[in-house]
Amino acid sequence: MKRFLIYSAYTLKTSKRYTRSKRFCYNLLENPRNQMKSRFDVFMICLVMLSVFLLIYEVDGELGQLGKVFEHFVVSIFVIEYLIRGWLYSDSHKIIIEYYEKSDYLNTPFRSSEVFKKILLKKLHYIFSPVAIIDLLAILPSYRPLRFLRIFLIFRLFKLFRYSNSIKLFADVLNSKRFELITLLVFIGFLVFIASIGLYLFENEAKEGEILPLYDAFYWAIVTLSTVGYGDIAPKTVEGRLVAMALIISGLGALSFFTSIIVAAFSEKMYILRENRTYAELDHYDEFVIICGFGRVGQEIAKQLKNDKMQFIVIDKNENNIKHARHQNILAIHDDASQNEVLLKAGINQGAIAILSTTGNDVSNVYITLTSRVLNIKIKIISRVNCDENIKKLQQAGADHVIQPFEIAGLLAVEYLGQPVAFEAVLGILQGHKHVLMDTLVVYQNSMLEGLRIDEINFQQRKLRLVGVISSETKHRKHRNRYQVKHQHFFFNPEKYFVCKKNDILVVLGRDLSIEHFRDQIEKSRLK
Amino acid sequence: MKKIVIFGYNRLSFEAMSRLDLSIYEILIVETDKKQFELAKAHDFNVIYIDFHSDDDLRAIGIEKDITVIFCFFPNDADNVFLILSVRALNKKIPIITTVETQGAAEKLLAAGANKIIDPYEICGRKIYELIKKPDMTHILDHTVFGRHDLNMAEVEIPAGCYLEGKLVNDLNLDETANLILIGIVDKKLGENLHFSLGEKQHKIDAGDILVVMGPSRDIRLFKKEVSNV
Repeated sequence: MKRFLIYSAYTLKTSKRYTRSKRFCYNLLENPRNQMKSRFDVFMICLVMLSVFLLIYEVDGELGQLGKVFEHFVVSIFVIEYLIRGWLYSDSHKIIIEYYEKSDYLNTPFRSSEVFKKILLKKLHYIFSPVAIIDLLAILPSYRPLRFLRIFLIFRLFKLFRYSNSIKLFADVLNSKRFELITLLVFIGFLVFIASIGLYLFENEAKEGEILPLYDAFYWAIVTLSTVGYGDIAPKTVEGRLVAMALIISGLGALSFFTSIIVAAFSEKMYILRENRTYAELDHYDEFVIICGFGRVGQEIAKQLKNDKMQFIVIDKNENNIKHARHQNILAIHDDASQNEVLLKAGINQGAIAILSTTGNDVSNVYITLTSRVLNIKIKIISRVNCDENIKKLQQAGADHVIQPFEIAGLLAVEYLGQPVAFEAVLGILQGHKHVLMDTLVVYQNSMLEGLRIDEINFQQRKLRLVGVISSETKHRKHRNRYQVKHQHFFFNPEKYFVCKKNDILVVLGRDLSIEHFRDQIEKSRLK
Repeated sequence: MKKIVIFGYNRLSFEAMSRLDLSIYEILIVETDKKQFELAKAHDFNVIYIDFHSDDDLRAIGIEKDITVIFCFFPNDADNVFLILSVRALNKKIPIITTVETQGAAEKLLAAGANKIIDPYEICGRKIYELIKKPDMTHILDHTVFGRHDLNMAEVEIPAGCYLEGKLVNDLNLDETANLILIGIVDKKLGENLHFSLGEKQHKIDAGDILVVMGPSRDIRLFKKEVSNV
């Protein structure tokens, strides 16, 4: 028995099929980041709604054969779901292994009953969790001998809690204000108690009132306290009316107290709601850029990325900047980007391709860079720096590129002095005004460019100007005007007989239109 | 000696100054903040402490006559606008280059009379964007044209009687004859604007036109010599 237990536990642990199927079920039922779960949730909501409609129909109509089949289908789905959730809740084989290893280490005897107790305890824990109870109540009434529990079929509606985030949030809100709500409840209970006793004393039949049992008094107190006041029972005696007046006034107070608690709780949770939406949106992105700091630089980048239809998310500590971003329908998180959790939530390990640290403060930039590098070894980090002496620190912290805004600006200012026209050209190209820009075209394998000589490409006719070729191909080395930059070479103004090899990159100057057109042609030729 | 006045001592002016050739230019820094003034003085810069709101003070540093260019690098847009207005009132012709801090201030600065606006944030944002979008090229350009390697952009003015006079831009083929790439031309007949040379429009070269070329500095030197050899 004991050996069998341990043996099967280890088999399960190493079994790939077992892990795979468990993983699949987890993705389907529990993993909030998975597409499958959201589809499954929608499906379940439809099922629940349909079955409840059937229930209503059944009240005064007879269900046909089809209806019964459907009911059975729904219930069996519920049962399967209930069981799978129980299965997912804990890993029994892990408990066995853990217990076995512990007893092995401490040299205590391995008792199967002990293990079973542990497993059972875990599963019981699941069975008595509120959501599991609701699930069970949604299933049970379908069992014929328990037909009298039909009313619990309504619990199927509660099942919707499971599948909808906003309902969950509502429960959370109530939960967060537990203390206030309990206080209020005690107060109301007290009021109701006093009022109903008072009314019962003053208004019972012996004193020509209408109140028969204490239950009536209790009912009256609740109706009055909530300011509903049906008027089916009304106090007749002076004392009874006094009680009523006192109850109405304190009822108003209690009611407004209750409303204010709920409103306050919701406004507190509002930003979470909004943030949840941001993260949900982010989940749909497969490739995006994280911009930390939405100042002038961040805004400019956002503008460019938006033009380019690239996806991105902004993180900033400054509330004004966040407001500004949200005005432009940009996904934004109002938080400190140097915190691990914030970057993790922003998806640094879930599809982000680059982190841009563009705050105006070098200390923040260093810290953001370092945090990002720790969280993700491979991601591209570009950081802004304001003081020269911090460039080294940023590179040490792990930035791939460091940009100094004032350095470029200073360079341009000086350029203007000596060569105003060249300055104009540089500035024009840098800022992309007039739609003239420098861009790259990659020589893909099997595309029309591969193996072509420079003079065969005919840049003149395409209204482009070839500036140079970037390549890591060793065969090009004999050509002139070679500039080495890291592992690549830049060949400025290559000769006519320069032959394009695959993966070379052509740097051209031209209007965005003509560059785009040429690029499309290259892409097409590659697919042929 | 050409005289340059820089208003405001900060990161930007420091970067600009460190690139200026001090054998040609005489730099005067104007600072209105006591702390920054002391800092500039400690760094041995030629700095003067005046109130730029007063026209007399501006006259005193020679705004009206012998200054080649003015840089307005105050960190505050309002200060720059005021300064540009004052300077324009005193001197119609002087070239003014200014920086801009907040979005939307650029138009005001231009309206006040600035000739050129350098927006460090916009340029920085664009560069970061290009680093994501076209990392190879940006990297290479940084190291060549804007960086330490010997690849430059230069402008060449065509003197009267030059051998290029009367030729068409598209027939120049500078890339073969001079190892230079022609970026653009200022055709004086069409005004002062730079036309990028992309084979869209034919320009005839006349005396006074300016060619903007890119290439290794040795070839640029040779070309300049060739052109000026009348």
